[in-house]
Amino acid sequence: MNKVIEVEHLTKEYKKQKAVNNLSFTVQEGEILGLLGPNGSGKSTTINCILSLLKFQKGKIKIFGKEMTPSAYDIKKDIGVVFQEVAVFEELTVYENIDYFCGLYIKDRKKREQFILEAIDLVGLEHYQKFYPKQLSGGLLRRLNIACGIAHKPKLIFFDEPTVAVDPQSRNNILSGIETLRKNGATIIYTTHYMEEVEILCDRVMILDKGEMIASGTIAELKKLTNIEEKVTVEIANLKEKEQKKLKEFPNVMDVTYQNGLLIISYKKGQNNLLTLMDYLKENQINYQKIYSERPTLNDVFLELTGKELRD
Amino acid sequence: MTIFKTFLKVLNKNKGIVILYSAILIFFAAFSLQNNDNSMQFEKEKPSIAIRNRDQEEGFTKEFITYLKENSEVIELEDKEEAYLDALFYRNVNTIITIPEQFGENFVAQNNPEIEVKGTNSYESELTNLMIERYLKVAKIYFTISPSEENFQKIKETVEEEIKLEMTSKLNTNELKKMATYYNFANYSILAGCVYVICLILSSFKNEKIKKRTIISSVNEIKYNRILLMGNFLFAIVLWLFYCLISIVLIGNIMFTKQGIGCILNSLLFTLCAVTLSFLISNLIQNKNAINGIVNVIALGSSFLCGAFVPTELLPEMVQKVAHLLPSYYFINNNEKITSLENWNWEHLSPILLNTIILLFFSCLFVIITNYLTKKRRKQT
Repeated sequence: MNKVIEVEHLTKEYKKQKAVNNLSFTVQEGEILGLLGPNGSGKSTTINCILSLLKFQKGKIKIFGKEMTPSAYDIKKDIGVVFQEVAVFEELTVYENIDYFCGLYIKDRKKREQFILEAIDLVGLEHYQKFYPKQLSGGLLRRLNIACGIAHKPKLIFFDEPTVAVDPQSRNNILSGIETLRKNGATIIYTTHYMEEVEILCDRVMILDKGEMIASGTIAELKKLTNIEEKVTVEIANLKEKEQKKLKEFPNVMDVTYQNGLLIISYKKGQNNLLTLMDYLKENQINYQKIYSERPTLNDVFLELTGKELRD
Repeated sequence: MTIFKTFLKVLNKNKGIVILYSAILIFFAAFSLQNNDNSMQFEKEKPSIAIRNRDQEEGFTKEFITYLKENSEVIELEDKEEAYLDALFYRNVNTIITIPEQFGENFVAQNNPEIEVKGTNSYESELTNLMIERYLKVAKIYFTISPSEENFQKIKETVEEEIKLEMTSKLNTNELKKMATYYNFANYSILAGCVYVICLILSSFKNEKIKKRTIISSVNEIKYNRILLMGNFLFAIVLWLFYCLISIVLIGNIMFTKQGIGCILNSLLFTLCAVTLSFLISNLIQNKNAINGIVNVIALGSSFLCGAFVPTELLPEMVQKVAHLLPSYYFINNNEKITSLENWNWEHLSPILLNTIILLFFSCLFVIITNYLTKKRRKQT
């Protein structure tokens, strides 16, 4: 597989504050790379540097094997960007907006018409073609924003948190649209702080914190980075401190937290932990409402690597 | 083509406000013509005066007073210093003429007696001064030749002789003045129209988020700016054409004379300059709400400073100096020169040509500054 993006030792400083620090990575053709990290971790700065929207102090960026510069129009024609903020003309309809942004790349009118209709179909805006942005809900606006960014069928697409503040229906629509784009052969860089989306979509994940890459790999590889193998959550109205201490002494238990009526126990190994816990609760007549076990998430990985939650 | 078409679509979407704004501006220009009093008929005016005669009203003094009474309106006042000063203060009279004792006798004897004249510094009092000076000069000449009373009749005939004035200019001064007024007002109408509409339309294109999308596209930014500038020119030309058509309707056939065509071409050049200035301003402002304020500062400010509403001669010297820094000054100055141009020779045409070159220079300057700012901003990011 070809390398679509090659980033070497990228460093971007804002008044001596490093927003991105010595970042190196590659993206292979056809893969979806998830850029994970809390706000201010350097995700958007990295993307803006790759797109030559920001100047950087050190490093080298290559796209499709060529060095990326602000005037590299032959590279830009194959790139699509969906920014976090909706960037459309208030004065134009849904169709006209997509036509404008697609027209910046595709000159042939007939080809463009076909591309626009395909983009509209992809994001599910068939019934809103003549609507003005003001007439659309937040979720539909996001979908229009995506259609404007991908209508010209780019080979490389950047999605910068496209599902922030989006209703579940639109979110599902957006995610299935991205899946379709991947099937059509596009290489995708997807930034978000929603781990669930990353787990659904991404082939590979890169976790950023304070401008540095703290982990990178497939989801399975990343999960191996944590010692936790099982996590059990129990809804208990009132749990005494004495009981919490006792639970910490159970076999395989790594950590016990009790907050807002939720007891979370992390285990190193995952055999019969749930049953043992249920027996203990029954014996000690501790009433609970819900109990469930789950595998560790990327958030757990992030928590263990950085000591804070992804959404902090 | 997509960018140009989108420009037209955005313009079309704002057509209501664009048409309304343009119509109001053109209406103001037409209205300015109605207030333009260019009467070329003159009539003699009689200033109000008061005479304090300390001499005997006989001989030369009597003749002089009669002359003053015939050529001015003499107001009778109580013979007190206070009453005269009050009348002067309240502008009941423009001039107080005090004739000293034995004035007539001394004047005939060529002893050069002086009369005291107090005025209000108004043009009426200046007129009275001229009247007195004229009479006394003529009288002096006659008395130098022969100091006899026979001169009284000759003096009277000489000063009453009317001077015939004939306008030698073949120009239709009244209509040309109207033309100058209308096209001077274009400084406001065209400038305000261009700045308002262009800034309004470009505020969508220059929106930070949309601009970001354009920068990452495969369209060259300079080419993109050029296409937008073309769109702006198209709008401005339509506005200018409309303005010229209205001038033909309001002022008439004189618009097809050399002066009329000169004014039309001058306004075309100014329109191009206004577009480049508007393009520069649209690059500087980020906020749509600031457009109205900027229109007022740019269009109204330059119109007042450069004499679109008030002739520059009436403005303070300092203001006139500042006006030289603005393109509007050269446009208005050209209008005045073109409408008073009778001899189309190099001597008279060269100042017009110089103003034209300066206007072109301003247009180029605005384009260069815009490109410089665009590049500088890109470098800063």
